Parts: sequence; structure tokens; C-alpha cells
Amino acid sequence: MLDAGAVAEASSAGNSLLVLAIALPVAGVLIAFVLGGRSAERIALAFIPIGLALSFAIFFDIWREAKALTYVLGGWQPPLGVRLRADGISAVMLVVTALIMSLTALFARAGFSTPNGVVEARRPFVFWTLLLAVWAALNSIFLASDLFNIYVALELLTFAAVPLVCLDGRAETLAAALRYLLFALVASILYLLGTALIYGAYGTLDIGLLAEHARSEPATWLAIALMTAGLLAKTALFPLHLWLPPAHAGAPPAASAILSALVVKGSFFVIVRLWFDAMPGLMTAAAAQTLATLGAAAVLFGSVLALRQARLKMLVAYSTVAQIGYLFLMFPLLIGSGAVDAWNNVAWTGGWMQLVSHAFAKAAMFMAAGLIAEATGHDRITGLAGIGTALPITVIAFAISGLSLMGIPPGGGFQAKSLLLTAATAEGQWWWSIIILAGGLLTAGYVFSVLAQMFTKPDGELALLTRISWRREAVVLALALCALLLGLVPLRPLDVLLIGRGPEAVFQ
Amino acid sequence: MSSTENLLVATLLVPLIMLIASVPPQWRRRVSDLLALAPIPALMTALLAQDNTILTFPAPFSITLTIDQTSRILLGVVALLWIAAGVYASTYLRDKSESGRFASWWLLTLTGNLGVFITADIVSFYLAFALVSLSAYGLIAFDGSERARRAGFVYIALGILGEAALLLGFVRLALGSPDGSLLIRDVVAALPDSAWRDSTLAFLIFGCGLKIGLVPLHVWIPLAHSEAPMPVSVVLSGAVVKAGVVGLIRFLPLEAALPDWGNALAALGLFTALYGVGVGLTQTNPKSVLAYSTLSQMGVVAAAIGMGIAAGDASAAAHASFYAAHHVLAKGALFFAVGVIATAAPVPRTAVLIISAILGVGLAGLPFTGGALAKAAVKPELGYGVVGVFATLSAIGTTMLMLHFLRCLTVPISNVRQKLSAGLVLPWLAVSAASVVLPWMLFASVMGGSVTDQHSLYALWESLWPVLVGAGLSFALRDWLQNLPRLPIGDIAALFKEMIPAATRLSGTVEQIEARLRDWPAAVLSLLIVTVMLGVALVVGH
Repeated sequence: MLDAGAVAEASSAGNSLLVLAIALPVAGVLIAFVLGGRSAERIALAFIPIGLALSFAIFFDIWREAKALTYVLGGWQPPLGVRLRADGISAVMLVVTALIMSLTALFARAGFSTPNGVVEARRPFVFWTLLLAVWAALNSIFLASDLFNIYVALELLTFAAVPLVCLDGRAETLAAALRYLLFALVASILYLLGTALIYGAYGTLDIGLLAEHARSEPATWLAIALMTAGLLAKTALFPLHLWLPPAHAGAPPAASAILSALVVKGSFFVIVRLWFDAMPGLMTAAAAQTLATLGAAAVLFGSVLALRQARLKMLVAYSTVAQIGYLFLMFPLLIGSGAVDAWNNVAWTGGWMQLVSHAFAKAAMFMAAGLIAEATGHDRITGLAGIGTALPITVIAFAISGLSLMGIPPGGGFQAKSLLLTAATAEGQWWWSIIILAGGLLTAGYVFSVLAQMFTKPDGELALLTRISWRREAVVLALALCALLLGLVPLRPLDVLLIGRGPEAVFQ
Repeated sequence: MSSTENLLVATLLVPLIMLIASVPPQWRRRVSDLLALAPIPALMTALLAQDNTILTFPAPFSITLTIDQTSRILLGVVALLWIAAGVYASTYLRDKSESGRFASWWLLTLTGNLGVFITADIVSFYLAFALVSLSAYGLIAFDGSERARRAGFVYIALGILGEAALLLGFVRLALGSPDGSLLIRDVVAALPDSAWRDSTLAFLIFGCGLKIGLVPLHVWIPLAHSEAPMPVSVVLSGAVVKAGVVGLIRFLPLEAALPDWGNALAALGLFTALYGVGVGLTQTNPKSVLAYSTLSQMGVVAAAIGMGIAAGDASAAAHASFYAAHHVLAKGALFFAVGVIATAAPVPRTAVLIISAILGVGLAGLPFTGGALAKAAVKPELGYGVVGVFATLSAIGTTMLMLHFLRCLTVPISNVRQKLSAGLVLPWLAVSAASVVLPWMLFASVMGGSVTDQHSLYALWESLWPVLVGAGLSFALRDWLQNLPRLPIGDIAALFKEMIPAATRLSGTVEQIEARLRDWPAAVLSLLIVTVMLGVALVVGH
């Protein structure tokens, strides 16, 4: 069970960083609760840069060593103890999460600062505490190596994310949050049922042990089907997306950015862990095609609905439904090659590139939509004429993000789509190319209809309700530029995403 | 860095630096006055750079630049046209409030346009192609009127479709590359043996064909040209469209004889050449007439390339690009003439008409014009057999179309009267002169042999008689031509309009389905169905 390599990994000095990556935001939440009041914002703003540095440190550690880091809590090996493990995809997700968290925090300062002279205000307190809680939950998901720990982290993620939706307390956002909560809980039950079945069959939930012992048998199939369905519901894959648009569109912009960019990706990450790490070889061609078919439906369905939205935030939310669909096209393209090291396929890089570039682009788009709504007092798309000259930086950031989603070079979205297209062509699964490009055309449709409106000359003078500080506009632009800079990543399988996988690196 | 490398970098960097300089409001006016300077490094590159030096940018910028004999001529004349149009545009913008916005789109389009001629790998080429295609939207829809926005919409919709096709083609090119090299010359060399050869060619021809307006992908050309501001029409027809030409020349494997593909492309090109003439004759707006002539001329270029592929004759690339280079200048000059007549009132109309007549009929091969040499250049491809007959028909048609253009030009299209200004007239004169002189200077270097070979009585007669026939027909049929039904600008674009209600209905249905899915019973049911589907998919596979 414990080979020499794993011992060497476990004893490496940098590994305690993994604990800190989770402990830091958890500590932040606890301290904020104890001290209360205005301290929540200060703690969050103090802890976030540290967390960012930690994430980068872990990333560079893994990159330099070119192998996964593990840390066994208290020295107890699984199945008795808890083990944290960071491989290449964890490292990337840690960094992306930390970057988006940091920029969101900068953006949110204006909207969620406690007014002077007030000891405690509900909205800021809740927002900053939950922001840290979401971060703790996401990092736990990325570092967990045990299906039950993942369950706990998923629950924490849900309970931290749901209140973010209804921070403003309006009836409609409360309804949206409730819908989100109920659906997420049903999804949790499915996941938990699956874990129970697996525990019954194998006596362990450790991913590394399952990878060795899991057999292809009815109990496993049922368990995986249940868990995957639950995770799909949390990821809002079509047709299980019903909760997403009202929740993501109703939340305050900073929260929407986190929800759309990161929270739905958390459960997607677990799907990948489950299929490729815990149960390698279990995925059948039929299952992969099923997942990708749902993804394809999401791409088309979500994009068409985005085209029909009258409100900017709803449009952006439906665009998330569509963009999530692309992630699932990765599965049949990975399985199709039949090779053991499926992730060496360009589809693996393409899928992750899609995830990361969408995270940055979508965070930027939600924040841009938020600034526009703040400046104009509404987010009706038809009323946006002239905003292009009134808020040029915001609109340019929106445009850059939109172009990235469409797959126009340069940009992460282009890299993602061309890698997926390459895989689809090489695997002879040309039908996915049609979906990828049709999605791109529809995306172009809704992005351009919004941009054309924004750059139209207004009938009268466009009166802005408030002045938007350039700092917040700069944050939005920074996020959009992150999506753009991903275009500099070379168009080939990315080594860092392969660290800790493949036949020679058993999940230990 | 060698001077060639410096020139290549400056070609793209100077317009981009000017773009950045146009951001601060206080500099905007200055930049829009200096638009003519942006393409100068490109012109110098065309004149001075060494062939086949490949410049690779340091990582992570995976851009590679190069120049070769074929692209050099096109780059040079395109840069020349952008310089002239830049002078015109600066004058045109003098009394416009939004000159900064115009200048930004102009510089972006210019950068992409120059980039397609000098990029050496498929990713950079795609980037440049996308830049020129998409940025031109801002120029076409610049005046913001309903019609301009509609033209812009059609342009951008088709443009993105073309991008998608090119991407599919490039992905296949990259997959077919033996050692992972993305250099255009490597991937194209591997193309004839690629497993995806046919689909690659189909996608590439679709993507580039859309840019040059091969029927039925041509509708954007007349719509965009008739709505765009004057200097924009000049660069669209003269320069932007050539991105498609250079794409065809650089990506189609001319050495490998592929008769099926070559003949198909040639047939499509010749059909487009005649179609453009036919529909152009029904137009009344001089800019629209010229736009149809553009797609007709590009059809000839495509036909020449097609015949080259069919025969496996690599020299077709040089011939076709010489033909296209003449078109850059001649068509640019004709569009300038429309602008001069429409806005600069005191210019003697007859002078404009005479020069336009020479250049216009020159497109049909009038002896001693640059057009005659252009026709001679593609003679090895289009001079013989059935293809020769159609090429001659297109020359006759072009004569008629250009005479029709002159007739349309005598009807004033605009009441805008600007002061006669050198900034409007000089670009027109300069480009007109260049379109006659430059082909003479370049002919020998492209074709080998001597220009004087073109002065034998036989050669003169051969290029003259289609012009005479065209002029005769034009005169004999003048009443009939006057009463032709007037097709709408963009002819079959109307068909797309028919599709809009159906698309709206379809998306309405999607919205209804969505409303159903949002109900709780449906949601729980879908969750159940997804679970069962996944379970079944696992059982089936094992």
C-alpha cells in the first residue's frame, strides 16, 4: 500500500503547506465569528493575500518536483487517517481559485464595506465570512483524497454558497436561493448514497485504495451513477441547471462571479476525481458519450436561451450553463483513444483550459454586468446604448471575456476550443466539432448583440447614477486579461496537468 | 536582430503602438491625422526585407513571421493602398466627432491585414485573419445607421462562420503535420498525404472563399461596401478581401496535382466571376457595382489558383497574386473616384470619368493598362480550353460592368459637398497612377521574360477584342440593360431574412422547454432519468 515513492512524497518539507491551504481560510471564518463586526472584512483582506501566496507556493513546489504532494494528518495512514494530496490539476485549481478570490475581494470592497460608525452590518459580515468559507471548501475539494472528506467539503461549499445568492434579502433572490439549496441537498443525498454503497462494497473511501481495489460490478455502477448524477446537479449540467440562472443572476456581482467561476467547478472537479482517479477504467464509451451528449445539449440549449434574455445578468448566467457543457465534451475524447494514459490526449488539456479560461472570463463578465447595473440602475440589454463610451474599461473587459468565450484568438477560450477540436478530429468523433463550433457561433450571437448595443449611440445623453471607481473597473479588466493571457499557453498537452497521473503515478 | 527581422516586427508593431497612442483622449485627434504613417514599415518590408527569413518571437509568444516572393508583392501594394486610404481617411475624419473610435478600428484592421501576409505559422495566421475579419466590423458599421448595422451584422455573422471553417481546417492541418511543426510551409507540404486531406481542403476553401466572396458566400461584400464610409470601402475591396487570396495561395498545396479539387475551385471561381458581372449590372449604387466587380475579379483569381492546383503548377501562386495585386490598386482607385466625385465638387467630372474608364476597362484587359498585364499573368492558367472561353466571357462582362459603373457614376449619389482638398484627390491620383505603372515594373520579375512580349500585335489583339465586344454589347443593349430588374444589394441576402422567423420560433420552443424543465416535478424527474441513463450506460459497457 505504501511504496517508497509515497514515503518520499509524504516526508517532503513543503507538504504541510497543503494543511495550511485549508486551515487558513477555516481559521479566518472562525476568527471572524469570534471577533464579529467589522473584523470580518479585515480578516478576509488580510488572509486572502497569504492564501494566494500559499497557493502559488504549492503550485511551484509541484511544478518543480513534477510529482504530487501528499500530507498524512497526524501520521495515520488511510484508511484510518486523513490524507491530503495535491497533483497537477489540484495545483492549477488552487492557483486559479486564489487569483479569482483575491480579485473578487478587491472588487467587493466597495460594495461590502461596513459603513463608518456602525459596529456590525449584516451584509458585509456574511459576505466576507462566506467568501472565506467557500475558499476553504474549494481547497478541501481540491486536496481531498477521500470520498467522504469530499462529501463534507461539498456540503460546506453548498452551505456557504447558498446564502451568497440571497445577500440582498429580496423575495426573488430568497426564492432562487431556496431552489438552489433544495436541489443541492437532493444532489448531496444521491452522492452520499453512492458513497455508502462504495463503503459497503470495499470498506474504504480512500481514492488511492479504491483505485487499486474497485471492481467493475453492479454495486459500483449504481454507486457511481448516483454520485455522478448528484454531482451533475451541483455542476448545473443540462437538464439539471434549473437552479443556476436565477441564483447566479440574482446574487450580488461579486458573489455571482465566485459562484459561476468557481463553485460549479468544484463539483466538476469531483466528477473527474471520481471517474479518473477513484475508478480508473470504469468509464465506458457509453457513459462518456452520455455525459458529453448532456454537455452538447447544454452548449446549444444554454446559448440559445442566452440569446433570448432581455437582462444582461441572466444572459451571462445562461452563458454559464452553456460553457459548463463544453467541459463534458472532454470525457468521450479522453476515453476514445483507449490508451492507458488518456490524459496525455489534448482533450485533457483542452477541458481544463476551458474550465480555467471560463472561470476568469465569467468572473469578469459578471462583475462588468454588475458595474453597468450599478451605473445605469438597470440591466436591460436594450437600455445599454452608449455605455461603451461611458464605461469604456468595463465594456472592453466584457468584450475581451466574450471573445474568449466565443473562441476568438488570442485567449484561453480559443486554446480550449482548438484543443478540443483537435481531439475530436484526431479521435474521429467529428460530431463534437459541430457542437463546439455551433456553440461558438451562438456565443458570438449573444456577445455581439450585447456589444453592438453597448456601442450604439444613445438617443439622448446617457446619465450615470453613480461614478464607478477606476479601481473596480481595473479589477474587471485584470480578470479579463487573465483569460486573454491564457492564450499564451502553448497549444499542446500541458505538462503540469499531467503531474501525479499516468500509470507510473498511482494515486497515493 | 537583422534588419529584415526589425522590419517584420515594425510592420505589426507600428500600427499597434499607434493604436495604444489613440487611447488617451488628448492624442486621439493626432493619431487620426497620422493614419497614413502606420503602413509605412509594411511598405519598407515589402521593398527591403530578405526572402524566407523566419523570425520566431521568444516564448511564450508563439508568433513567427516571414516574407516570400509571392506575399511580398501583395504586401507592398496593400501597404500602398492603406497609406493612400489613410491620407483620405484623415481628411474624411477631420469634421467627425468620433475620429478616435474610427482610428482604433482602422489600426486594428490594418494590423490584421498586414499580418496575414507575413505570418509564418498557422496559429499566428489565424490570429491575424481573425483580427482583420472582426475589426472590419467596427469600420463597416461605423456610422451607426440601421442599414450600416445590418450590413455589419451580415458581415460579422458570415465572418465568424468563416473563422469556424478555417479553424476546422487548421486543426486538421496541425494534426497532419508530421513533426508537430505549425509552420505553414511544413503543414502544407504534409497536406497531400494527410488522412484528412479532403475535409481540410473543403474547410480552407470555405473559410478563404468566404473572404473573397465566392458565390454563395458573397452577400457580405456588396452589403458592406455600399454602407461603409468611403475610405473603408477602399481598403475593404482593395486590401481586406486579399486576406482570402493570400489564404488560398498559402494553404492550398499547389505542387500536388489534385485535379478534382482544382477543377472544382476553378469552376466555382468562374461561376462567381460571371455571377458578379450579372448581378452587378442590375445595381445602381456605384459602390455596389464596384463591390460586385470585386467578387467577380476574385472569382478569376480563385479560378487561376484552381487551375494551378489541378495542374500541380506552383507558379500559379505568383500569377494569381500578381493579378490580385493589380486589383488592389485598380479597385482602390475606382472607389476613391466614387468618393472624389461625391464629395469634392469642383473636380472636373470628365477627368474623373476618363481615368475611371481607363482603370475600369483595364480590369477587363484593356491593352497598355496594368490590367492587360494582369490578364497576361494568369494566361497560363486561364488562357486555354473551356476555361479560356469562360475567362474571355468574364472579360467581356467586366467591360460591360465597368461601363455600367461609369453610367452610375454620372448620377450624383450624395449631396455632401466638401471643399476640394488635396487629402481627397491626391490618394486617388496616386493609386490610379500606381495601378498603371506598378504592374509594368513588376511584370518581368513575376513572369520572367520581358514586358515587351506583351506588345506583339497578336497579344494586343487578344486582350483588346473582348473589350471591344463588351463595349459593343454595352452600346447595343443599352436600353435593355437600363431596364433590367433591380436586384437588392446583396441579392440572396434576402433569403437569410426569410430564415429569421423560423429561427425565432425555434428559440421560442427552446424557451418553452426551459420553462417546463424549471418545474420541480420535471426537475426531479430529470435527475432520476440522468441517474438511470448513467447506470444503464455503465451496465451496457461492461
